Amino acid sequence: MHVDNFAARPHAASREEGGRPSGQQPVVIARGVTKTYGRTRALTGVDLEVRAGEVLGLVGHNGAGKSTLMRVLAGLEACDEGMVTVCGRDASGEAGPRAGDFRGVRMAYQETSLCPDLTIAENIWVSSRHCLPRMGWRRAAGNGARRRLDEMFPGHGVAPGDRVEDLSLAQRQMVEIARASLVDRLDLLILDEPTESLGPDAARSLYDYVRTLTAGGVAVLLISHRIREILSVADRVAVLRDGAVIAERPASGLGEHDVLTLMGAEVAERAGNERVTAAEGASEDRPVLAEMRGTTAAGLRDVSLRVGVGEVVGLAGLAGQGQQEVLERLWRPVRRDTKVRGTRAYVPGDRQRSGVLPLWSVAENLVVSAMRGIARRGLRRPAEERAVVRDWVERLAIRGGPDAAMTDLSGGNQQKVIVARAFASAADLVLLDDPFRGVDVHTKTDLYGLIRQEAAQGRSVVWYSSENAEMAHCDRVYVFRAGRVVAELTGAEISEERIIAVSFAESDGAQNHE
Amino acid sequence: MSETLGPALLPSRARMRRTAPAVVSAVAMIAMIAVCASLQPDVLSVSGLSLVLSATVPLVIAAQAQMTLMAVGDIDLGIGNFVGLVTVITATTLVTDPLLGGLILLGLVASYTVLGILIHLRKVPSLIATLGASFVWLGLGMFVLPTPGGTTPEWLAAFGMWQPAGFPAPLLPILLVAALVYLLSARSTLGVRMRALGSNPVALERAGLRPLASRAIAYTAAGGLGVLSGLVLASQTGGGDVSSASSYTLMTVAAVILGGGSFYGGSAVPWGVVIGGVTLGLVSVVLSLLDVPTNMQSAVQGVIVLAVLAGRVLVGKVLR
Repeated sequence: MHVDNFAARPHAASREEGGRPSGQQPVVIARGVTKTYGRTRALTGVDLEVRAGEVLGLVGHNGAGKSTLMRVLAGLEACDEGMVTVCGRDASGEAGPRAGDFRGVRMAYQETSLCPDLTIAENIWVSSRHCLPRMGWRRAAGNGARRRLDEMFPGHGVAPGDRVEDLSLAQRQMVEIARASLVDRLDLLILDEPTESLGPDAARSLYDYVRTLTAGGVAVLLISHRIREILSVADRVAVLRDGAVIAERPASGLGEHDVLTLMGAEVAERAGNERVTAAEGASEDRPVLAEMRGTTAAGLRDVSLRVGVGEVVGLAGLAGQGQQEVLERLWRPVRRDTKVRGTRAYVPGDRQRSGVLPLWSVAENLVVSAMRGIARRGLRRPAEERAVVRDWVERLAIRGGPDAAMTDLSGGNQQKVIVARAFASAADLVLLDDPFRGVDVHTKTDLYGLIRQEAAQGRSVVWYSSENAEMAHCDRVYVFRAGRVVAELTGAEISEERIIAVSFAESDGAQNHE
Repeated sequence: MSETLGPALLPSRARMRRTAPAVVSAVAMIAMIAVCASLQPDVLSVSGLSLVLSATVPLVIAAQAQMTLMAVGDIDLGIGNFVGLVTVITATTLVTDPLLGGLILLGLVASYTVLGILIHLRKVPSLIATLGASFVWLGLGMFVLPTPGGTTPEWLAAFGMWQPAGFPAPLLPILLVAALVYLLSARSTLGVRMRALGSNPVALERAGLRPLASRAIAYTAAGGLGVLSGLVLASQTGGGDVSSASSYTLMTVAAVILGGGSFYGGSAVPWGVVIGGVTLGLVSVVLSLLDVPTNMQSAVQGVIVLAVLAGRVLVGKVLR
């Protein structure tokens, strides 16, 4: 029956029917898959096979192309070149959320794909309506969800009539995973950072269930930056780097260090297990401009950091580990644990949303922060403003000159204007919120030079970047993980390899599960 | 029912928080009925309640229309003039040529569907599109019936005059429409699609459902409810006047908010809207019974609405 099909173990019924791949046959194959967004090449040619009955672990650092690859494998987006095959059928032509070929491929998203205002049963209907009866769908969806949650996470404490917005973060994650697995015929289950907000018990019972799934012939693709977890659960591990799979190894016999090395990390002894205390050198002597002492808040745990005058401080680590919260704190130091002496300027990363005044000219966009400093008794002084603008336009070689319309500029040049705006002001501390994402190399080089110049003149910079290579331009780098500073690197210690190593290395695990 | 699926372990507090706005409005409503009854004991009789409630019927139905749009995260600034236009059509074409009149009313519902589709495809803010549409409704109404007047079809007039003995007549349309909207927006899969669009359009899209369809459904439902509201209003006033309901536009928004709805979309509160709409309608009754000068009434009405909203915020904070 329809409902039973849906609620029972997805693999049990149709296993013998023959239309499905049996053990060790590939379920989803990607061949030479590329994907380009604007100028960024997210995938440069991925070859990957996920076989029935196995758990394939996928690891990679920021910007390696994990999320794009998942979207392509789940059929949410078509690839530019190459081929995706699902259960032997070429599915690359027909991508999009409504594509029928991808129906057996289901994905549990890290940020969840649930509607907060809907009940759990209603959310199940949204994603699994093909397998629900027209009448009594609510009861069927609710029963299915509860049964699956009982199997996956005993003691979950969730009722099908609860609204998602009333659940805890961990419960939402549970519901999201159950939602993804509820379908009449499951071929591949993609789990994106499934344990990020789950406790250790829930994580254990989830992986137990994953093993029963694979025993029944379902393929599971597991994405996580907890490398130990991947190694203990997965049968094979694929390493993604710069948009391509650079290694595929059986998980047995593979150690954490091996994986980190494959990802491009230089594995430091004891890295991550204890704080790498920086060699306190010249930076210690500088007068302190801004300071956080043991700040604990939403997204931050016991963060202490120090910014000296004329220092460039980097915030590194995987995206969303608390770096932006630190910038926010320094921008608005309302609590006593954060002290900032002097004025501040903020350079937002997402220029389309928060940086550009699109109807204004380049000159107006550039000078808007500095205007007050230049003005006398509240009156603007156009001649001085023009001089400042001309100076900056020349220094950064902004195409089009001061009178060009902001929207006529390329993205890179717009970003130059936004950065110039912050540095043109008299601010003592400049906060950079990943401002160079998607900016071309020439512009970046110009801007790196500018940052160093300004620091030499006594300006302090706090710089969050998702691109680890950029951190080489900093005097000191704090590496974040789960809202904590896990390492402080200075001078020669700062390298991409080192940052990758510390941002992935797990400490005792307990702190991540709290 | 979802409630029978399992013991609701968690959400007792959450559910309280969600129903709190409607409860605050309900308290305000009961207080106002009490004030009315103390000033004029006849209010509590069947005919008295009919009299007091009748003016709220078209408002509550129009507020249900507003609620369906707010459930998908949109807002309708044209509903007042739309209801006005419906009364005009009812008082003119529907009397002279019932078939043509009926078709025009259906056409008006369809025009709401088209409006929703355009809003979705062109990515226009609903605020602006419906505001623009409101001038179209007003212009059309002026064109058909420049000065208020006309008559209503006999069946509609009979409905307006209907006085059953046992219960106040206005309760019937109010509760009937609320039950209908409840079935549509809270119990059916169409309602799930609508609320999912207001709640998390990305999830809706990923699941392979079309946001366009959700929006079209919501606008069609709103158009249908708008026509219904206009018919009821015409039955009460006995004629057509395009500007007779222009105050509805913002009153309906207030009714939805009083009933526990939200500007962000995602929630459907048909029963709350009944309470919010009736509360708003009662305010003017209370004020006239209290002999508040007419030119002060709007201001006092606004203050009362603000007070109820403040109460809602306060209760929400306490329950957090």
